[in-house]
Amino acid sequence: MIRGTGIVKTFKQRGSVLAGREVKALRGVDFSIEKGGAVSFIGESGCGKTTLGRIIAGLETYDSGEIVIDGTAMSALKPRARQPYFRRIQLIHQDPYSALNPTRTIHQTLHAPLALRAKQTRRPGSWIDTRAAELLSLVGLDPGYVLPRYPHQLSGGMRQRVVIARALTVDPEMLVADEATSMIDVSLRLGILSLLKDLRERLGVSVLFITHDVATARYIGGDGDMYVIYRGQIVERGKVETIISSPVHPYTQSLLSAIPVLHGLERPGEQRVVPTEALDESKSDDGCLFARRCPFSTDRCTSEIPLLARSGGFAQEHSCFYPERRNVVATPLEAA
Amino acid sequence: MAVSVETSAETPVEPMPESAPKTAPGVRVGGLSVVYKTPAGELPAIAGIDLELRPGTITGVVGESGSGKSTLALSLLNAVQPPGRIAAGSVEIDGLGDVVGLRGEELRKARGRHIGYVFQAAQNSLNPLKTVGKQLLDLGRSHGVSDLRALVREAKELLGRMGLDGARVLDSHQHELSGGMRQRVGIMLALVLNAHLVVLDEPTTALDMITQATILRIIREVHEERGLTTMVITHDLGVVAEVADRLAVMYGGRVVEQGPTHEVLATPRHPYTRGLLGAIPRLVGDIDEARALPGRPPTLGTVPREGCVFRERCALRMDVCETVEPPTVADGPRLVACHAVEAGGAVREESA
Repeated sequence: MIRGTGIVKTFKQRGSVLAGREVKALRGVDFSIEKGGAVSFIGESGCGKTTLGRIIAGLETYDSGEIVIDGTAMSALKPRARQPYFRRIQLIHQDPYSALNPTRTIHQTLHAPLALRAKQTRRPGSWIDTRAAELLSLVGLDPGYVLPRYPHQLSGGMRQRVVIARALTVDPEMLVADEATSMIDVSLRLGILSLLKDLRERLGVSVLFITHDVATARYIGGDGDMYVIYRGQIVERGKVETIISSPVHPYTQSLLSAIPVLHGLERPGEQRVVPTEALDESKSDDGCLFARRCPFSTDRCTSEIPLLARSGGFAQEHSCFYPERRNVVATPLEAA
Repeated sequence: MAVSVETSAETPVEPMPESAPKTAPGVRVGGLSVVYKTPAGELPAIAGIDLELRPGTITGVVGESGSGKSTLALSLLNAVQPPGRIAAGSVEIDGLGDVVGLRGEELRKARGRHIGYVFQAAQNSLNPLKTVGKQLLDLGRSHGVSDLRALVREAKELLGRMGLDGARVLDSHQHELSGGMRQRVGIMLALVLNAHLVVLDEPTTALDMITQATILRIIREVHEERGLTTMVITHDLGVVAEVADRLAVMYGGRVVEQGPTHEVLATPRHPYTRGLLGAIPRLVGDIDEARALPGRPPTLGTVPREGCVFRERCALRMDVCETVEPPTVADGPRLVACHAVEAGGAVREESA
């Protein structure tokens, strides 16, 4: 339903000291998300995954490239004419504590967008309250309990469900969930993940899941695509289960190696990859962007630019000159 | 600035003066209760906590929001702020005595010298207007350190040990440092006065996976090299699994299970520990096996006044759980507070 080609975004710093310094958030990214599909973007903070999510949700401009929604190229439209397209894509962001207006009850929060929707679709006013209750039930909340309450009276998990319900008021075709579970208590996180999975299965809503926690991406749908993003470039792309079970790019392998091992329950992978140095954006951009931190880099990596492609007989696309499967993921010990 | 001039001093690092203990202290928390004053009366955030931090070990305290883990950590410093107060119990620290009884100047000296505390969101605990070096000197002066040059050398050595350029970091303001670097500065400030008891509150929350892995490795290494007693507070079982020797699971202001980390993870006994482990998204295995716990964690106002605090979400709930708070029962190195486990759950687990 949405396709992007060669998306580039550069942020220019303002102010006296840093004026003119540029941050390349996205360096020519292609993506494609099917109707009802699931896609996850993973990477470290600062890799550009949030910027890309915001561009997809229509909340951020881009310098060059093209976005096509349901067959219509956005560059051909005036900004105002793009709005109905981007309305189909709703963003759920990380912090359910600041996403809701604290001075409004949940009823008021849901009423405003639904009233607009009723007007657009020529529905009677009575539809609004019915629909609000329906949406809350859909996200697993008790409308009678939630509707009269203010956000501060709800737990983080409940608030995040309200945010999802609010996104659903405009009948979106796609939800962009940016770290939507990272501020939720561990015991409730899976509940939000399975809600997103459920919405995808029942309503056919596409889900774009943006996270640094690779494991959570599995719970949105193993059949979905995973994009591993590093410094504004996609370095590996394929099916979620392929990337997790047999990653070939050293950066993906570093990400997977960094996931804590539950000692006593799991055995660490034998070939865990640790970057040789910390991320430093100011370092040179020649060759492979990961080369400086890569334990396997050679002279070729610092002089030649690898392109994202399918090669070496692997199922996924990658941008590494020396792709190799490494055993980095912890495996469960035999049940004691 | 002044701090960088001192880099060139080639004199060997003198041992830190003053009376700081040179070995890892043990800590015994006994019957500790902390209450917060609310319109509904004084409500307990933690109640009757018994916990031992053995000298030289890393203890991980895991809990969700509202479990009382941060209140417990603040109690080790006797730093619970009004409207909260320590209502009962003691916190015995070797070489320091019961910190619950300490007041004013004595207490201030103990913090920093004996107990280092790395705050949650270290990025927000630094002063944005001062360089790290200036804050370090403030710290030294407020604790009456006579040799500030030695303090700066010690700080640089610690930062170097954690993979940072000490001189550059001391000359930086906090906005010039990344999240991982600020976290390391927090650890440096906690250790630089040579404290041997260190409390880290959510040391890796808001950090990336790769940075988190680096910080956890540093915590482990520094712990061993300096001979510390360390307590790590977190909501993330994975963090505890990586670094801690012993694990204490908190729920509703109680420690519901504790024991050696590997044993607790391999054979969790309390239904909450089991549920929590089952709710973690994993990279391998059947994703349908993972489940969220039903219900939600209790808050200060909704913690049951009597009976078991976990019963609302518990699959093993029995009649006795409604009225009687389960006692903590020891089995070798492991402690569990659950009626169902006491009534035979543990035996079943072992023989399975």
